[in-house]
Amino acid sequence: MDNVGNLWRSRRAEYWGMAIKYLRLIANSGFLFTIYLLFIFGSYYYGEFLLWLPEDFPTVWVFVALFSWLVTRGRVRTFVKDADLVYLPPLESRMKPYFRSSILYSWMMETFWLALPILVLAPLFFHRLSDSGTLLLAILALLSGLKLWNLASGFEEQRFQENSKVISHTALRTVLNVSMVVALFTFQPLWVVVILALILLVLYLFYFNKINDSHAVKWDRLARIEDNTVMTFYRVANSFTDVPQLKAAVRPRRYLNRMFKGMNYDQKNTYLYMYSRSFVRSNDYFGIFIRLTFLGSLFLSIVTLTWGLWVISGLFIYMTAIQLKTLKAHFRTSQIIDLYPVSYEERTRAHLKLMNVLLVFQVVVFFIVSIIAHGLTEAVSVFIAAALVAFIYPNVIMKRQSA
Amino acid sequence: MDNVLEVSGLTGGYQRSKPVLHDINFSIQPHEIVGLIGLNGAGKSTTIKHILGLMEPHEGGVKIHGKTLAENMEAYRSKMAYIPETPLLYEELTLWEHLELTAMAYGIEEETFKKRADELLKEFRMEKMIRWFPSHFSKGMRQKVMIMCAFLVNPSLYVADEPFVGLDPLGIKSFLDHMKKMKEKGCGILMSTHILATAEKYCDRFILLHEGRIVVKGTMEELRQQLQLPNADLDDIYVAVTEEGRHG
Repeated sequence: MDNVGNLWRSRRAEYWGMAIKYLRLIANSGFLFTIYLLFIFGSYYYGEFLLWLPEDFPTVWVFVALFSWLVTRGRVRTFVKDADLVYLPPLESRMKPYFRSSILYSWMMETFWLALPILVLAPLFFHRLSDSGTLLLAILALLSGLKLWNLASGFEEQRFQENSKVISHTALRTVLNVSMVVALFTFQPLWVVVILALILLVLYLFYFNKINDSHAVKWDRLARIEDNTVMTFYRVANSFTDVPQLKAAVRPRRYLNRMFKGMNYDQKNTYLYMYSRSFVRSNDYFGIFIRLTFLGSLFLSIVTLTWGLWVISGLFIYMTAIQLKTLKAHFRTSQIIDLYPVSYEERTRAHLKLMNVLLVFQVVVFFIVSIIAHGLTEAVSVFIAAALVAFIYPNVIMKRQSA
Repeated sequence: MDNVLEVSGLTGGYQRSKPVLHDINFSIQPHEIVGLIGLNGAGKSTTIKHILGLMEPHEGGVKIHGKTLAENMEAYRSKMAYIPETPLLYEELTLWEHLELTAMAYGIEEETFKKRADELLKEFRMEKMIRWFPSHFSKGMRQKVMIMCAFLVNPSLYVADEPFVGLDPLGIKSFLDHMKKMKEKGCGILMSTHILATAEKYCDRFILLHEGRIVVKGTMEELRQQLQLPNADLDDIYVAVTEEGRHG
């Protein structure tokens, strides 16, 4: 049926329309700069790392573990929505082309996600396992074929009502995948691979493909899988920009409640009370803060150039400050906050205070990391660079912007 | 006696060229519950927004205890509590934190806050949920949070917009009992609602809005006299007024 094909294409277009909007925002954000930085430093240290790697490092098993996981994981993108639970089940018998398109589309995307780590790990492969590029490409092609088998079988798997059955089937696939991946990376003779492939083919044709005779599609599971996938994308996008669809997700993080103890019960602290809690619990401000602090510390401990240390400490403080700046607008849409008998200036003051506390914390962390990695003299210059940015951005630049 | 709330000659709305409210005049004295009645789109919510100070009047003004918002924002706001039609909660704060934050914002002493909060939680049967986040609340529980926040402040003016929506019968009773208690203590209360039987029972006076104008206002007796409907209840009066609007 052509309208089923149309439905699939419009769903895909709808998703990509949304995704491209966010991908563009991500590309434009300061974060891309970090990736460049990572790439430049990374490619230099990669060569060093390969030489440093001990002789007895289990390279094969790293490849096996990584690619077994990559091949087994991942579900078919069906673009099914909650509302489809009402409208699509009557069409189920005619939906075959829709699901076939979904499987092929997912295969394409997943092959990309297999090719990317192959590309990144290629130097390691050539260095330790084999210097044949043809062999690596052949392995990639076979992994991609294995992925297709997994997607097709995995789609039939979701037809089971009981989660336990789905899990046992996934376990079965994992065992088969590991055998195949081991065979590929230990360079077994061709007939071993052919026999394994035949087993998989027979299993699909005479077992997985028969499940649909007695089990209908479980629409709610498809909707949940799809929802999880989209949410994962939103979460990634949210590290770079504001994703309104994600707003509802609040993480209690009760272990951090102790941090609020230092704040007095006082009318003056009203907005600080709100900002500090939304920083910790909502929208992943906290996650970004921790990630940036961690990444900055990592760079500071690896890099040895003195001016590189200054740039990195300043840059990470700056990126953190930009992220924290958005916290100010967090309650913009709330009507209740506008009714509080506390003036608007107090809001600016509270936001600034929280920013200063958090940036000072980050400066101290960077200082300590630098002392450990490079000694006190280098650390003092890192401290000065970081403290300058931490002071100037909120207290001078932001003040001027709001004035 | 000193008016708690005084709305005089209020003309307002989102656009100056298209006012939604036309020359609204009314006041609320202490010890008084006033019902604000009207069809959807009659201008009830706009009136309330002007009273809250979320919108600026085109003409006329709103005074609380004789002071406008412009004269003293903090004094104006601290004398009033608002119960919105749809509960507006902070998703990242627990129930207890909503109460604490509200008390802090309105400058209530910590001891007083704790005493009042415990009483309210007990009264609205929410003690077990103080550490919950709003995502786990039903519609009625969310509304209870708003109501408790309002009573916690203990202001001299309450503005309630459709406060009963989603509340269970016991919740409605607790709410109305509290309202009566506040009224006896000398508060003024403005309540917008569509549940006319309840309004008739609890309100001292009524303001009937239609298409942005006050059509008729007063006690039940005064309404009956003005409309010449001697034995009418509030439902009859409401229908009569809106029908008249349609024909006229």
